[in-house]
Amino acid sequence: MALELRTGRGIYRLVTAAPPKAENGSQILTLALERADGIERVVFGCRIDSSLPDSGAEAEQILTTLGPWVERDFEQIREAALKTIRTERKLHEIELNRDRPGPFRVA
Amino acid sequence: MSLQLIPPDINIDFVGKRYFFVVLSTLINIAALVCLFTNGFNYGVDFKGGSVVQLKFDHPTSGEQIRKALASLDLGDVTVQDFGAQDQNQYLVRFEQIKNIGSVGTRIQGAVNEAYSGSNKAEVLRVETVGAKVGHDLRVDGFLAVAFATLFMGIYIAIQFRGVSWSFGAGAVIALIHDVLVVSLALIISRYEFDLTTLAALLTVIGFSVHDTIIVSDRIREDSTKRRRESIATIMNSAINETLSRTILTSGTALTVLASLLVLGGPILRPAAFTLFVGIITGTYSSIYIAGPVVLFWEGDQKSKGSASRAA
Repeated sequence: MALELRTGRGIYRLVTAAPPKAENGSQILTLALERADGIERVVFGCRIDSSLPDSGAEAEQILTTLGPWVERDFEQIREAALKTIRTERKLHEIELNRDRPGPFRVA
Repeated sequence: MSLQLIPPDINIDFVGKRYFFVVLSTLINIAALVCLFTNGFNYGVDFKGGSVVQLKFDHPTSGEQIRKALASLDLGDVTVQDFGAQDQNQYLVRFEQIKNIGSVGTRIQGAVNEAYSGSNKAEVLRVETVGAKVGHDLRVDGFLAVAFATLFMGIYIAIQFRGVSWSFGAGAVIALIHDVLVVSLALIISRYEFDLTTLAALLTVIGFSVHDTIIVSDRIREDSTKRRRESIATIMNSAINETLSRTILTSGTALTVLASLLVLGGPILRPAAFTLFVGIITGTYSSIYIAGPVVLFWEGDQKSKGSASRAA
């Protein structure tokens, strides 16, 4: 599944780059931001704490929830993901939990 | 009672030790130039142009095998580089040809996975592309920005301190060139990526370094009008000692912040924080041991009275 994001840098796609994993009560999604013309791609992780509502949903549904939020914070997410891979040689990980729920609504 | 890091009557003979430090700095600068022309910077894709694809494999492989796997894609001259720790199995594939660049990541992943036939799965973590012309232009513009910043600061200082000596401008320019070379050497050795953010940090170093040089030069100008009978070397040494407390406090506080950024700032800020950290240390050092000695070499130790009378 791919979600189309309209950004200041053109059209990007948000796609799942690897099957979701469960770890320490969190679901970890490996996502990729791909420019529509294919000249750029960057992979990053998203750790979603199980205490968040809808955190256990299917990856596709979570992707739909994350899409507009990633589109809004696109520049920061892209920059952090690129720099982490370039200099730390690992995937940037966004952590969503009750303190920082991102697009998930906390009751 | 106030805490004094530097006693007010401190009198270290900085100027007397100038020959040793000038030789040391010259050697470091020669090493920097040699490294610049041999190893060079680890340019980011911004400056290098072309495409960079970062691949992660499940198991170790070799650059040669990856090159063979990519042969069918007609990417031109491909370089493959180990990236990161050995157990990470990450490789950087760089190539300059960007013909049919669309979906290059998908095509590379497909070609590699087909060549390894499932025995070693590859995943594309990053694809970045900058046109070779854009990369070259950015590199030239970056060099010009550093060169002009250095030159104009030298001219500015020469004009400001013309009353004492025109050589202050030359001293400032040589000190700035020294700082740029030392920071460049540190960047080459550390292999931090040289990108646009690092360039901005390098320009900031130039700004900071000249600021420090001005403080010392200003005190020399002030003292040379008051102590006309003393040699310029004596005035210079006392000016450095008089401003030492200020130099250590300002550089020290800046370095504290930069040390925090370096350790805690994360990967995005690290190359820039490193550049600034090294730059502030070398900028402080060059204000004392490079800018001053250049003025002394230029003027000669005995000319202070004449210079001072011109200032008056």
